[in-house]
Amino acid sequence: MSVKPMPVATSISQPFWQALNEGELRIQQCEDCRGFVFYPRNHCTHCMSDKLSWKPVSGEATLYTYTLTRVPTLPELADEMPQALAVVELKEGVRVNTTLTGLDESEIRVGMKLKPVFHKVDASGNTLLRFTAEHKALDIIPYNNPFESLNRNAKGQIQVPISNLAAMSALANNEFTDWSEAITVDQALINAFADLSGDNYWIHTDPDKAAKDSPFGTTIAHGSLVQVLQSRMQFALPFEVVGFKAMVNYGSNRLRFPAPVPAGSQIHARAKVKAVDATPKGMQLTLEVNIHVVGQERPSVINDLVIFYR
Amino acid sequence: MGLTGNAAIVGAAQYKPEKYQSAPQMFHLEQVADLARLALRDAGMSIKELDGLVIHGPQFHEASIFVPAMAAEYLGIELNFAEVVDLGGCTSVGMIWRAAAAVEMGLCEAVLCVIPARMAPFGPNDDPMWMAQAMRYGGHSTAFGAPEAEFDLPYGHLGQNTGYAMIAQRYAAKYGYDPEVMAKIAVDQRFNAQGHQDAIFRGSELTVEQVLASKMVADPLHILEIVMPVAGGAAVIVTSKEKAAKAKNRPAFVTGFGERLSYKSPSYANEMTVTPLAQAASKAFAMAGVRPEDMDAAQLYDCYTITVLLSLEDAGFCPKGEGMRFIREHNLTYKGDFPLNTHGGQLSFGQSASAGGMSQVIEAFDQIAGRGGERQLARADQIFVSGTGGVMSEQGALILQGG
Repeated sequence: MSVKPMPVATSISQPFWQALNEGELRIQQCEDCRGFVFYPRNHCTHCMSDKLSWKPVSGEATLYTYTLTRVPTLPELADEMPQALAVVELKEGVRVNTTLTGLDESEIRVGMKLKPVFHKVDASGNTLLRFTAEHKALDIIPYNNPFESLNRNAKGQIQVPISNLAAMSALANNEFTDWSEAITVDQALINAFADLSGDNYWIHTDPDKAAKDSPFGTTIAHGSLVQVLQSRMQFALPFEVVGFKAMVNYGSNRLRFPAPVPAGSQIHARAKVKAVDATPKGMQLTLEVNIHVVGQERPSVINDLVIFYR
Repeated sequence: MGLTGNAAIVGAAQYKPEKYQSAPQMFHLEQVADLARLALRDAGMSIKELDGLVIHGPQFHEASIFVPAMAAEYLGIELNFAEVVDLGGCTSVGMIWRAAAAVEMGLCEAVLCVIPARMAPFGPNDDPMWMAQAMRYGGHSTAFGAPEAEFDLPYGHLGQNTGYAMIAQRYAAKYGYDPEVMAKIAVDQRFNAQGHQDAIFRGSELTVEQVLASKMVADPLHILEIVMPVAGGAAVIVTSKEKAAKAKNRPAFVTGFGERLSYKSPSYANEMTVTPLAQAASKAFAMAGVRPEDMDAAQLYDCYTITVLLSLEDAGFCPKGEGMRFIREHNLTYKGDFPLNTHGGQLSFGQSASAGGMSQVIEAFDQIAGRGGERQLARADQIFVSGTGGVMSEQGALILQGG
C-alpha cells in the first residue's frame, strides 16, 4: 500500500482504468436502452439489462457541486490543500466524484463547463481522472518523479524528507535492492551463538550427530542467528529518510525462517520497501529484509521490519 | 395502509453524552441489559413483558452475526420478533416504526429498541491501533470491489463533512446562502441545550459570531456547524395500546412514519438538494392524517446545520428554497414560535454514534410525556421526528402523538 489511496481495478472496472491510462475516457452504455452507466457495473442501472459496452466519450462536463477543504480528508492528502473536491456531471448525464485542478479558488462556480485532465500518478502510467475549466490549456498532468528534485548524500542515496508525502509514498515500489556482500556462517560462529543464547541443541552444535541424524546431513545455523546477522550485511538502500526527530524500531510484522542455513554456508541479504503509511504514531515504513544462502532461491529469513519516523 | 396508532412509546433511557476519553467503557451486551433495565423501569414494566427486540447490528462489539439472539440470551428472554437495523443516523427512527408495526401486526406486545454507543473495554490482546485504522475512513468502505473504495477514496472523497459541504454549496448556487442564518440554527439549539441537564454543551452558550469565527472545515461548513461525536447509548420501549394504558408515563403513539433510501453517495442523487426525507415525511403525515403546521415541535436530525435546513424544507415546514427565510423569521428555541430540537439537537446535546438520532425520539417522548422540565413546551401533543443516515442517504420520519 502506498501513502495515497489508489484505485484497485476489478474485472468489472478494468476497461475504465485501462482507457484512462491510454488517455481516453470510456464509460459504459446499455445496448438495450442506450442509457449511460457510471461507475462501472455488470448491469444497466436504468433497465437492468446485462448488455453493456464501453464507449469513448469526450469528457465534456459541468460542475454539479464542489467544496474546498480546509482540513484534509486524509492526512496523506495534506499536500493537495485545499482539496477541490467536486461532483462533475458528464454530458452523457452520469456523475463522477473527482477533484478540480489548475483553477484558482475564485474561478470555481457551480455549473461551470469542464473538461477532463488525465493525471499520471505513478511511474507505471496509472492515471486518475481530474477536471479543469474547458478553456484551460491543461489536458495531461505528467508523472512528477518526486525524487528528481531531492539531494543525494555522500553514499549517493536520495535523501527523502518524511514531510515529502509524494516521495515517501514512491519508496514503496516493491523493488529489491541489489544483494549485499556475502558472509560465511561457520561452525565457530554457530557455537558462539549457542553459548550466548543458551540454545545448544545438537542440530546446531554437534556435527557428528547431525551428519547421522539430521535431515540436512550437517549442522545448521539458528534462525535467530541468521536474522541478527543482517547487521553485518550492508544492502544498498537507494534512499535515506531524513527530517525526522526520532526513529523507532517497532519490531517485526512477520518473521519466518523458510529454509535452513547449513554450517559453512555463504549468506547474503537484500531488502525492499513494502509499505509506507502515515499513522497517528508517525510515518511507518515497512522494510522487508530477505536473507538467502547464496545461490538459493528460497529465503532463509524473511523479516518485515517496521520502522517509525516522527 | 400503514399504522393505525395502536402502538406507543412508553419508556426510554439514554446515557448522558460524554467524551469518549472520560466515558465508562462497557461491553455492548452489558449496555443493552443496563439500558433495557433503565427503560423498563421508566415504563413501569417488567422484563417478562418484553417479547420483541430491535437492535443496532453494525459494529456491535461482541458479535458480527446473530446479534439479536445473543442479546436476547444475555437479557434472559425469548422473543417473538427480532430485527437488526443498519441505517446509520436513521436507525433510531427506523427502529421505532419497525417496533410499532410489529406490535400492530400482533407479532409481539412489547419491543426493546436499543443502541449501545459507549466503547467496549479493550481486551488484553486487542491492538488499539486497529481501532484508529478502522475509524479513519469513517463510513467509507475500503473493501476490494467497493465502488467508493475504488472511485471515491483516490480523489479524497470520504467521510461525512465534505459530502454535506457539497450539498450546501449546490444549495447555495441554486437558492442562495446566508451563513448567519445557518449559524442561527446552531445558536438557537445551543440555547435549548441549556434546558437539558444531560446536554454536553450545557453551561456553554454560543453566538452567531462565534460560529462564523470557528474553523472552516470544508466550505461552507464551520466546525461549530458540525456535530461532535460522543459516547452514549439509548433504549426505547414500544408497546401495545393495552399495555400503554397501564404505563407510568403519558404514551407517545406512533401514528405515522415514512422511510426512504436513495443512494449511498449524494453524488448520485437525482437532485442533491432534494433529500429522501421529502418522500418519507409526506408519507408519514398522510398516514397520521396531519399536516406540518399541526406539529407542536420538530425534532430534526441535525448532524450538520445544512441537514436541518434541508429537512425543514423537505418535511414541508416551508417551501423549497425558503428555508433561510423561515429560519430568519422564526425563533427556534423552546421559548419560540417554532420549537426545534428542544433538547439542543445533537449539535448541542451530543451525537452518540447511531444512538444520536434516538435523542430526538426521546426528546419528543419527554415533551409529550410532559417531563421536559425547564424546556417543557406548553403544548406538546404532536411532534415530528426525523432521522438521517449517511450523507442524507437514508432518511425516516415519525409522527408521535400524545394519548
